[in-house]
Amino acid sequence: MIVNLAERPGASDPAALSGAGPQPQTGIGSGISIRDAVKRYGSFAAADHISLDIRPGEFVTLLGPSGSGKTTLLNLLAGFQQLNAGEILVDGKAIHNVPVHKRGFGMVFQSYALFPNMTVAQNVAFPMRMAGLDRATSDRRVHETLEMMRLTEHAQKMPSEMSGGQQQRVAIARSIVMRPRVVLMDEPLSALDRRLRESIQIEIREIHRTIGSTFLFVTHDQSEALTMSDRIAVMDAGKIIQVDTPDEIYRRPRNRFVASFIGESNLVEAEILRREGGALTLRTRTGHQFRAESRDEVTGRNVTVLVRPERLRLHETAMPGSIPARVRSALFLGEVLRIEVELDSGEVMLVRCPDRAGQVLPDPGSEVHVSWGAEDGWVLA
Amino acid sequence: MTDVPADALTAPRRSLRQRLSNPALLLLPAFAFLAFIYVQPLIDLMMTSVEGEPWYADLARVFSTPLYFDSLIRTMQIALTVALLCALFGYPAALLIQRTRGVTQMLVATAIILPYFIAILIRTYAWMVLLGRNGPINKVAVWLGIFDEPLGLLFNRGAVLLGMTAVLLPIMVLSIYSSLTRVDPALKRAAMANGAGPLAAFWRVLLPLTLPGVGAGFLLVFVQALGFFITPTLLGGPGDMMFAMHITQQADSVTGEGFLQALAVVLLVITLVTVAIAGRLLGFEFIWGGTRASPAPKPAKAVERTPRRGLSATVADTVGWPLLRMVSGLQARWGAWTVRLMGGFIVAMLVIPIVVVMIISFSKASYLTFPPPAYSLRWYEKFFSDSNWMDAFWNSLGIACLSAGISVSLGATAAMGIVRSTIKYKSTVMLLLVSPMIVPPVVLGLSLYSLFLKFELVGTYLGLAAAHSIGGIPIVVVIVAAALQGVDRQLEQGAAVHGASPLTVFRTVTLPAIAPGLGAAVFFAFLHSFDELVLTLFLSSPRMKTLPLMLWGDINYQLNPVLAVVSTLEVLLVVGGIILARPVLTRRAGAN
Repeated sequence: MIVNLAERPGASDPAALSGAGPQPQTGIGSGISIRDAVKRYGSFAAADHISLDIRPGEFVTLLGPSGSGKTTLLNLLAGFQQLNAGEILVDGKAIHNVPVHKRGFGMVFQSYALFPNMTVAQNVAFPMRMAGLDRATSDRRVHETLEMMRLTEHAQKMPSEMSGGQQQRVAIARSIVMRPRVVLMDEPLSALDRRLRESIQIEIREIHRTIGSTFLFVTHDQSEALTMSDRIAVMDAGKIIQVDTPDEIYRRPRNRFVASFIGESNLVEAEILRREGGALTLRTRTGHQFRAESRDEVTGRNVTVLVRPERLRLHETAMPGSIPARVRSALFLGEVLRIEVELDSGEVMLVRCPDRAGQVLPDPGSEVHVSWGAEDGWVLA
Repeated sequence: MTDVPADALTAPRRSLRQRLSNPALLLLPAFAFLAFIYVQPLIDLMMTSVEGEPWYADLARVFSTPLYFDSLIRTMQIALTVALLCALFGYPAALLIQRTRGVTQMLVATAIILPYFIAILIRTYAWMVLLGRNGPINKVAVWLGIFDEPLGLLFNRGAVLLGMTAVLLPIMVLSIYSSLTRVDPALKRAAMANGAGPLAAFWRVLLPLTLPGVGAGFLLVFVQALGFFITPTLLGGPGDMMFAMHITQQADSVTGEGFLQALAVVLLVITLVTVAIAGRLLGFEFIWGGTRASPAPKPAKAVERTPRRGLSATVADTVGWPLLRMVSGLQARWGAWTVRLMGGFIVAMLVIPIVVVMIISFSKASYLTFPPPAYSLRWYEKFFSDSNWMDAFWNSLGIACLSAGISVSLGATAAMGIVRSTIKYKSTVMLLLVSPMIVPPVVLGLSLYSLFLKFELVGTYLGLAAAHSIGGIPIVVVIVAAALQGVDRQLEQGAAVHGASPLTVFRTVTLPAIAPGLGAAVFFAFLHSFDELVLTLFLSSPRMKTLPLMLWGDINYQLNPVLAVVSTLEVLLVVGGIILARPVLTRRAGAN
């Protein structure tokens, strides 16, 4: 064997399914119900009949490429933009007549949007000043919140004297100081470097669990969405394509768009031979038979099958059900090897195998065989 | 430019060639020119003012003579009032530009900024037409029954304040607008998302953040108003004599040598002290509409800033906040409509006088009346057939071309020197280069007079063009320096790495990038000279008439529609130039 080809850990292992985060402990979050929301700019529909129900205290991420309408949806909820049709209900009440400043949501902006003329403490106190809370309550809450965000020693600094990560933590503090029922976050971490981003991701999760508000988080970063959310709403061209838990989104994407937007994917064109409930037997164009799973609603004969690169196995010699291929390139990435192979049909597949002791990178051009298990193929609608 | 000894020890000696290619040398021509024609005469002026016995005799006379002292106080009062009025009306106008979109925004911005480039003399003349006995304001008021008969609206303090505010307003609007565009739009949303209504968001966030812009505009207007001469002379009565008017009057009657200079020095010193205080507070960049170069605050500064913030916050809390609470019950639309109405009023105030003058230029009547009883081109015929007007036109054109040539060649090289060299005290050098913008023209004119006599430059093309270049160079430096800063240094480095010589790099990369800026600089330097009146009043001879001089003479003696023709032609010139320069201007505005 060129590669000590990995045994794939069981996909049915229940521990692997625990992607959904812990449930909030307190119950101050609002339920949000978006019904048939439409927002048009001229003939362009930024939100095209969107419906989405968010449970109280849930952490939902809107994920999509730029221009997919995720920020529009957030702005509609915040009240910066008005719906052309449909309605948005918060705790069962329509909010289209409530002006922005009366909605009582918390919001974090991509550019932090800290008031440069105010200190950190004044920034955090701002929502309470606006709500007309008395000084003592306001001071106490500012203190608590700054402590929670570990910003106490920065209270008297101006925003311009702080780093990007600190500024964003101040912005988060400002958004939660009133313990709002809903917190909106518009790509809050996109300006930060990766390490900082990952630590603040965890921090935001913690805050969500502590205060129990409903969080609506917008991002174009799929790994961020997978890490943080209870559920992810994948958006494209003003529509929500799929709403599901992160593991469902990753493992059982509804269509080609979701499959290729989240994670790396191998898409194999195949023809359905047999169907037994959700389990299918298919045949590739080169005549190789394999099995895959599907949702019940898959119809038609010719379908696309998704196989994630980490589900593929490489063999030196032919195995039952394996497909011959040729190595195009092989890269060592640290925790995994990334190997590109070309099938006889000309289709290129990507394989990721975890790094193991004694593993050797295959030479480009060498002959290998690829296979995957019946549970590893997922038929796209 | 001065080598630190430690540097000299460690660094290898630079060759002559390297020394000559130091971009700092590019500053020399402009410096030599300004030293000769601008700094030295001002020093002479100051020296003459202290030649009395004892040395302060003439200066003391300025303060002890009630005529001049009162005028000084009056000048300060008028300048302050005008600056306040400009801030009050300028803010809604700036907000209106910022809040409108697309074509409306372009029209509003053009309506406010365009008048800035039309000669002060012409805009003042337009107000004389508007406020005159047969002018449209009187006509409308009588027709509406507000007045029984036309009133004398001219030649009083109100007319002076109105005229000066209208003339200086664009400066204020530009200053406020540029600070508005620097405010992150997300801040307003953040304020609203955090529970602030539109009014609270304005009071707590937008206004505090744009106060430096208001301050800069206020000081620019104040400083310019201090030295104002044309508008108060034409619109004011005997009780509205401003200080600069005394200086020209004294210059005509040639009283004692020394006292005249003392008058000018007093005005100059007051101006410079104001600018110095403003510079300490805001950074001297306010003079040319820039922002403070060092946004990174030092820790020491933060401590120093705390009490001031505390004070303004206290004022905002105790005075403004209760007021806001009171009016916060009003609909949000109310605020938007206030901006629209006031902004619209300002636009009308700036545009209507010009439009009225353009209409009157086609009048058939032989005196000024609006609306014209009939239309004709007779005044255009008169202008183009009158050899006096045509001579003046060709003189102005020649002088303006020459002056633009001097300004651009000296100013652009200086801008290159300042942007590309690594000299210390860059901001001081920049300050020196743009300082002619703030010296009252009356003072400059007076100081130049003796120099011009000595070198027999009075009433010559070269002399007038050179004098106009004193004000042209700062314009060119500011525009070209901004253009140069926009050039991507990596493009130049890329060209050099791939084998282009420095001259080729300049020709193929730098020059194309700054060409629009250079074009704008040429146009504005030309316009500056073409419109210049005050220096010309001092430095021209009876045989050398320029267009502004002819206008000036005619406005004082016969208010006939030929002036409206000249004004219309000037407006067309400016509009044409702006249309050509628009890509540059919008690109600079869009950079924010």
